[in-house]
Amino acid sequence: MIEAVNVTKKYNDGNQALKKVSFLIDRGEFVFLVGQSGAGKSTLFKMIIKELVPTSGTLKVFGRDVSRLRGKEVSVLRRNIGIVFQDFRLLEEKTVYDNIAFAMRASGASPREMRKRIPQVLEQVGLKKKVYSRVNELSGGELQRAGIARAISNRPAMIVADEPTGNLDPQTSMDIIKLLRNINVKGTTVLVATHDQQIVDELKKRVIYLEEGRIVGDQEKGAYVRAL
Amino acid sequence: MLFRNILFFMGESWKNLFRNGWMSLASIGVVAVTLFILSVFVLINMNVHHLTEVIEQDVEIALYIDEEATSDEREQLVENLRNHPEIKKADFVSKEEGLERLRDQLGEENGLLEGYENPEDNPLRDAYEISMHDPEAVSSVAREIETYPAVGGVEFGEDVVENLFDFTGVLQVTVLGLMVALALTATFLISHTIRLTVMLRKREIMIMKYVGATNWFIRWPFLFEGFNLGLLGTVIPLVGIYFGYESVLQWIDANLKFFPSLIPLETAMGQVIILVVPLGMALGIIGSLISMGRYLKV
Repeated sequence: MIEAVNVTKKYNDGNQALKKVSFLIDRGEFVFLVGQSGAGKSTLFKMIIKELVPTSGTLKVFGRDVSRLRGKEVSVLRRNIGIVFQDFRLLEEKTVYDNIAFAMRASGASPREMRKRIPQVLEQVGLKKKVYSRVNELSGGELQRAGIARAISNRPAMIVADEPTGNLDPQTSMDIIKLLRNINVKGTTVLVATHDQQIVDELKKRVIYLEEGRIVGDQEKGAYVRAL
Repeated sequence: MLFRNILFFMGESWKNLFRNGWMSLASIGVVAVTLFILSVFVLINMNVHHLTEVIEQDVEIALYIDEEATSDEREQLVENLRNHPEIKKADFVSKEEGLERLRDQLGEENGLLEGYENPEDNPLRDAYEISMHDPEAVSSVAREIETYPAVGGVEFGEDVVENLFDFTGVLQVTVLGLMVALALTATFLISHTIRLTVMLRKREIMIMKYVGATNWFIRWPFLFEGFNLGLLGTVIPLVGIYFGYESVLQWIDANLKFFPSLIPLETAMGQVIILVVPLGMALGIIGSLISMGRYLKV
């Protein structure tokens, strides 16, 4: 599903965010990407959705080299990836329903599909009662549930979540990560970048360790602190 | 583009228009002022052209025959005038006919001509009234025929003709320059208004990009917004021009009896609409394209 071979990213200011990174993530996997701020997690995520392209090396997503994708192909790639953000990135003046509808419409869904799908995803994330609540009336956990509902609304093959629990208390963080695990159980590949030790240790999933732009470890059923 | 998308884009564009109320109003105002001034100049230009044509039809050369010319010379003159390529028509006006016309023109004052009843006392000369194919050639032809034998003198409205052509030339250049300057101002303002919308909707645009909206899905509402600004900007000047021009026509009709008639209201408005409406829309669309180019790349 994601295949990185010697992926390097050098920014114009000379900063090298990723240095010859290679890994393979298969369909249906749940993977944590851990590392300190500046380790290169966000750069890697931006490359997966082609917001950035590698300076050298190859990054294939769904079997296609992202550097070669043009115009509409980028849109198609992104429609197959649900993105979850640390700061939720919801439209505050709109309702939960409108936020999801907005995203679905932008990715080409018909009104009929929206009417059918939105209650389903809100049920799945446990936010059915808040369907017509305005986003600025929601709690932190509810905001992230709404963000996840939006991310899965187009039935993506993969979810990438960049610090999804970064703004949440420990209990809510655990609820959110369990929600992502449930989505993964139904077949969606999930990639979570985090430096939340509690959730990584609790789930015991595959962990890729990034340090100063290099992969320094990759463990099945790993913990936040890398076993040597 | 799907029909439901068109409706959605139009809805979004109207929302944006009201969201940026004051800036939209400023843009519409500038488009309106630009198109109004443009329309006024176009009307002036059209009417000057119209009047030039009317006056051009009246521009003739009067050729007076030398009283001492022999009949051979006179025949030669007729031949020359008939064969001249620039001359459309040359009508002979005898001095008796000339006197008669003068008498008619003077009307009640024709007592001034008392004493000239006897043909031998007629002070006028036989003449030809010459009209041209191309009125702009009047002066050169006049100078040429002045040299023919049997010609005692030539008269034409030299200054009127040349000043008229100079004036229309200057006016056209000025109008063209002003049109370009005003159109640039309007485009600049529209692009700024749309850029403001783009800024206000930065978050929405970013989310749309992340969920896989195509570039054009994001751009259409802004394009419609520019189009709306341009279109609204044309309504005000058209209404103003309609009533303004109507008053001018009425005033001229009431006060300047001998002034040649201007272009009728319907014809003038037709021409202004054909020019102003597409121009307003084009200004709006160009303005939005400029503002989107840099900001909406996925």
